[in-house]
Amino acid sequence: MPTSAQSGHAADVAAALYQRSGAAAYGVSAEQFAAILDEILRKYLSYNSAPNSARAPAEQKAEFCAGLRLEELALARACAAGNERAWQDFISRYRQKLHSMALHITRDGAHAAELADSLFADLYGVNAHDPNRPRSSKLASYTGRGSLEGWLRTVMAQEFINRYRKQKRTVSLEEQAEEGMQFAAAVPEPACASDRLSERKLEAATDEALAELSSEDRFTLASYYLDGRTLAEIARTLGLHESSVSRRLDRLSTGLRKRILAGLRMQGMSHAQATEALETDVRDLQLNLRSRLTQDSGARTFPEGKVPAQDAGDGSTD
Amino acid sequence: MTEVPKIVVDRLRAALPKRTGPERAHPDADVLTAFAEQALSATERDGVLEHLALCEDCREVIALALPAADIVAAPLAAETEAVRATVSRAGAPAPHKLSFARPSLHWAALAAGIAVVAAVLLVRPGKLNQAMLPSENPQLTATAPPVAAPQIASSPVPSSPIASSSTNQSSVSAKTDEAPATPELRLSKKLKAGQGVTPSHPTESGMLLADNKKDSVQADKLSAAPSARARALDAPIVGRSTEAVEVSGAAVAVGVAPSADSSLVARNDAPAIEKAKPALPEMDVNGLQKTQAAVVPAPARSQARNMMSAVKLAPTASQTLTHNVAWAIAGGVLQRSLDSGQSWQNALRADHPLLCYASHDDDVWTGGQAGTLFHSANRGVTWVQVQPSIKAQALSSDVTHIDLRGDERGEVRGPAEIVVSTSNNEIWSSSDGGTTWEKK
Repeated sequence: MPTSAQSGHAADVAAALYQRSGAAAYGVSAEQFAAILDEILRKYLSYNSAPNSARAPAEQKAEFCAGLRLEELALARACAAGNERAWQDFISRYRQKLHSMALHITRDGAHAAELADSLFADLYGVNAHDPNRPRSSKLASYTGRGSLEGWLRTVMAQEFINRYRKQKRTVSLEEQAEEGMQFAAAVPEPACASDRLSERKLEAATDEALAELSSEDRFTLASYYLDGRTLAEIARTLGLHESSVSRRLDRLSTGLRKRILAGLRMQGMSHAQATEALETDVRDLQLNLRSRLTQDSGARTFPEGKVPAQDAGDGSTD
Repeated sequence: MTEVPKIVVDRLRAALPKRTGPERAHPDADVLTAFAEQALSATERDGVLEHLALCEDCREVIALALPAADIVAAPLAAETEAVRATVSRAGAPAPHKLSFARPSLHWAALAAGIAVVAAVLLVRPGKLNQAMLPSENPQLTATAPPVAAPQIASSPVPSSPIASSSTNQSSVSAKTDEAPATPELRLSKKLKAGQGVTPSHPTESGMLLADNKKDSVQADKLSAAPSARARALDAPIVGRSTEAVEVSGAAVAVGVAPSADSSLVARNDAPAIEKAKPALPEMDVNGLQKTQAAVVPAPARSQARNMMSAVKLAPTASQTLTHNVAWAIAGGVLQRSLDSGQSWQNALRADHPLLCYASHDDDVWTGGQAGTLFHSANRGVTWVQVQPSIKAQALSSDVTHIDLRGDERGEVRGPAEIVVSTSNNEIWSSSDGGTTWEKK
């Protein structure tokens, strides 16, 4: 039960947040803004509240709200509500950027224009099917967790993937057929029962070893080995330096091998058997990947324990 | 890097949910953005990573939505006279977040680049030109469409009255009248804008270009340059600059400077170009557009093309430069030695590690992971990223070997064959300097 002092404090906080957001300039009242924050809190706070924390929920809420991009949130929501001034501000800040982003994502002038225009319409809230219905702007879903610009990029990337995913799959299947790279067929059926058994053991041991990794490690592995992302891209996504990612992949690779061998021995294999099972695993993985790994071993991005000085200051970590 | 056991990759893939399965709830755009911006709490970040480890689509969204990275290929300080002008201040790689600059800045960059080009083109040995002052041709001013003004205004012409050709003056008016369709007209005008850049001040132009890359504030300043003068400068040059292109061709570096410059500027325009490996199929079949400037807005692109065609007019000059340049790859970085290997400098650091190179005279090609392919036609002073593609398919695997096959005379420029081998045993070749490609 909040005391009057607490609610008074909460009101102060709300007022400060409202002030910071500059929402008043866009005709968003303090009550409306508080309602927006409430909605965002309901959506996300379950993730972010620490149930065992000694701190009061109100304090957690205030802290969470203070971490939001309040000014951009006010702008986005005012646009969604149809405020003319907000919309003008939005256009002057982001219209051009939308096109640059689209070019960055599509790498193709025609598709970029299409993508940017369609997102712009979504942001404005044009309803192509029923122009009589009230506008419903995509900006109404922005919650200020990240920058508005980053959000626009993400939304655009999602739209791009949704739109072109189908095409991409068709193309890549055709390509595979063209090159005779049918991965499924490339995995040979183990010849006899004992092979199948060792195969199953190997899979189980691998799954177990992977499951023991942190989600960040698994993300790193998947990005590098499945998606073919570069060290630089992974580093930027995780907010690390490229060399850290490189070292992490090294560590993961060694660790996984060890863990799998240990797992196989737990299942009753001798050390020699386990090593053999791991080393003679003949599944023919994506040709590309394998040679890429071979290539990597020849040209390591950074030698062990030594990061070239000029990298320390470059922008790959930001 | 140590290879993970193959089974690991296999099981990672097996862990991915089947496409046919029910759609899982993806983190919303807000959370993905906050994740990429490192703005999530540890708990929430873990949850997102857990999802990402299993969700290829969201990983792709994150990768696509990464802000445009640093400029890939910062050219190094140059040695030859002709190229020092272009890159004098671009020596150090200038990592910065590429701001999505306003279009005027793009034009500023483009115009500054072209100004340098024109300056270089016009400076021919033994033929110092005399500046044509704007006032000399007031009657021509009217013919300049105002649209050209902001572009040209961005190159603050020092206007030291040294460079201009008195020999050509007589033909100016006539040639102006003959000036062909708009694109060419514009090209000529821009070349002209550079005319004021005298041989003694070429560095300034180079600085502009470099600064523009580093700091858009500089470009702002540039666009503030008086446009009236630029407009006045426009018209008279048409015939002359065209002629200059036709006759010029002093040193090789001079001859190739335009293409290199235009692409340098184009890269400035194109925040996405660092990402050598398109994640999704390219729909654009036009090889030229891709290799030239994959993501440059259409007008800029067409101008780049125009410049290319203008450049082709220039006769291939004889090799006047010394041949003690040596190349090497170390730690994914292309290195260059200008003294037969006694000292080395980093010549190109791409977004992906470089793996191989091939050079012939001034032509240098270097390739690396994820389809990275760069070409320099001036011994590494400026670089153009090349993205070979056929139909919807682009070169995206690691480039492991590059071969330059000259014609009988061993000349590589012109119709020589560039053969690129990749880690998945593809062979891509181009016989027109990287504009169109074939795959074997």
